[in-house]
Amino acid sequence: MFDTEMREYSRDESVDALVIGTGSGGAPLLARLAGAGLSVVALEAGQKWNPARDFATDEKAQDKLFWTDERLSAGNDPLHFGNNNSGIGVGGSTLHYTAYTPRVQPDDLRLFSDFGVARDWPLSYADLEPYYDELETFLGVSGPNPYPWGPPRACPYPLAPLPLNGAAQLMERACQTLGIRTSPAANAALSAPYFRKGIGWRAACTNRGFCQAGCSTGAKASMDVTYLPLAVQLGAEIRPECFVINLETDAAGQISGVVYVEDGIEKRQKCRNLFLCGGAIETPRMLMMSGLANGSGQVGKNFMAHTGMQVWGRFDEEIRPYKGIPGSLISEDTHRPKDADFAGGYLLQSIGVMPVTYASQVARGRGLWGAELREHLRGYNHTAGINILGDCLPYEGNFLELSDEKDARGLPKPRIHFSNGENEKKMNAHAETIMRQVWEAAGARDIWKFDRNAHIIGTARMGNSGDDAVVDADGKSFEIPNLNLPDTSRFPSALSANPGHTIWALSLPPPHLF
Amino acid sequence: MPNPTYPPNTVRALLHSDAVTPPTRAALLERLDAQPQAPQFFDAAEMATLRAACARLIPQCERENPIEIASSIDERLAAGKGDGWRYDALPPDGEAFRRGLRGLDQSADGEHNAPFAALNETQQDAILGSVQNGAARGEVWQTLSGARFFEELLADATENYYAHPLAQEEIGYAGFADAPGWVEIELNQREAREPEANHV
Repeated sequence: MFDTEMREYSRDESVDALVIGTGSGGAPLLARLAGAGLSVVALEAGQKWNPARDFATDEKAQDKLFWTDERLSAGNDPLHFGNNNSGIGVGGSTLHYTAYTPRVQPDDLRLFSDFGVARDWPLSYADLEPYYDELETFLGVSGPNPYPWGPPRACPYPLAPLPLNGAAQLMERACQTLGIRTSPAANAALSAPYFRKGIGWRAACTNRGFCQAGCSTGAKASMDVTYLPLAVQLGAEIRPECFVINLETDAAGQISGVVYVEDGIEKRQKCRNLFLCGGAIETPRMLMMSGLANGSGQVGKNFMAHTGMQVWGRFDEEIRPYKGIPGSLISEDTHRPKDADFAGGYLLQSIGVMPVTYASQVARGRGLWGAELREHLRGYNHTAGINILGDCLPYEGNFLELSDEKDARGLPKPRIHFSNGENEKKMNAHAETIMRQVWEAAGARDIWKFDRNAHIIGTARMGNSGDDAVVDADGKSFEIPNLNLPDTSRFPSALSANPGHTIWALSLPPPHLF
Repeated sequence: MPNPTYPPNTVRALLHSDAVTPPTRAALLERLDAQPQAPQFFDAAEMATLRAACARLIPQCERENPIEIASSIDERLAAGKGDGWRYDALPPDGEAFRRGLRGLDQSADGEHNAPFAALNETQQDAILGSVQNGAARGEVWQTLSGARFFEELLADATENYYAHPLAQEEIGYAGFADAPGWVEIELNQREAREPEANHV
């Protein structure tokens, strides 16, 4: 990546836009702003990788892709961070996201209107739709035409779906007998070589099954092989290994620049607009450390994490769950189940799994050890999973605060309080019943569930008024107009879809907004 | 159907073949050929307790040269490396491990008047089980959650064991043979470089 020479900006020059973080929130807008002729610089905490040279098909070696500055997990359902959600490096968490790219459905954005809970989004599906279309075409999303759920599409998926692997075949077969519709999933990984101007050719997916620990071929549309090289070509500068420690304001209270550490040295970059794209933990943490933009009292509040229960089973068939795209098959029949006793809904997805991840889950989730653990793991090649991805409501008790404990950088560690509420518990119970039925119908034995929540969402919510929201529908801070929060931190509700696609859609603003 | 077993001595041959990309080969050979290091984080007594506990969590009686687990944990703690989070209920990793290992010795002393490492396997298993269930005796367990400490110790041990190429060989994993890509990905499909299960 960055084969072309990269433009460099002076630190004393006030750039039109400074972007902190190069993941889903920062990357698309970096390209958009550079394309509009603006002077733009991105600061990224982690390093720039060359996937073909640097990425091993080995989970332990790939720990380098995870955000490992320690977070304290509190509440009744303490969240696992690191490999479960947050990334570091040029490309951010997209370096290890699963590539699942479902769109939201229109009613995902109106939980309050439909159920009287959470918040409605201050924007509608029609606002996101043109960006979804643009993204699927630009990134090369592989998916079925037609896609069985959601509103009719203006643009078909540009590539055929990726092939189904063993877990997907089992789920498809069982769902058929139970009357649950399934479909090959939409994935931002190429089922055929794909060319885009500004990027060049990307090769087709080789079914390596390692999306969650780094794609070494560029087939997966992580930001480092898509929007970031495009941004550089359009004139953006990306500075890796620059860790921002403070935001600075001028006399009028506008953001004037940031302080960051590079090679152990504190530096400053001036800017006219700041886009803080650190995700739903680092973004509010940075605002709290800088004491900014919290007149509403909502910074750090309403932390959410998708319901993500997994159900695993042991089959006579050989599955070898390390092969093929992990998220191969989907069903959205549970988007609004008729018999639901909860608000919102969820997706069902088949899952492949890497061996260390699975072993660790068996240890934590089932508490198996000794001979029993080793015996269970000998069945790895006969193991298949299904998981859900469901809504999570905002609750007062789920929030982020700065702790008194300092991390290795000398910054306060964030403490995240998280407990599933009644709605999430009922949704999980509903989903567990269905997933067990599916696996029983598929012939599984030793079925077990792994309780899990995934993705970090909320903490700087978007709304119509600065009284109870941090940013407006464009992501602009109500208090500091030249501060923008483009990513999951601004989600007012969690949505029953994997978040990447929607973050990108929010990160492709028309440049006239600035 | 019982769980399959897989033939031994396949992983090294694969790693030296052109079916593995250079970065993957480098990472796995380094682990495969690692020599046990002298402990840097734990003292000798703590290390003995940790080794004894790991030998029960992941028993490897059949291996002439067991996969090193305790050393890997020691190495991680000495380097100050973590996985990005910890239970708020636990102290920082290093302190949690030191106190937890002391707790195992206290429980062993209370029950059998001997350090944990000196107990027989049945006695060790009983103590580990009581820590896992939050029912262990000993002063340490009054202020350290036994269940959470056990979960962390077990996860650490398990991840280190199954990251080892020989443990991956044991379960028939061949994902590291990553150079050609996979074509046969459906049920009951196997490519030539994937070891075939022994027929039972």
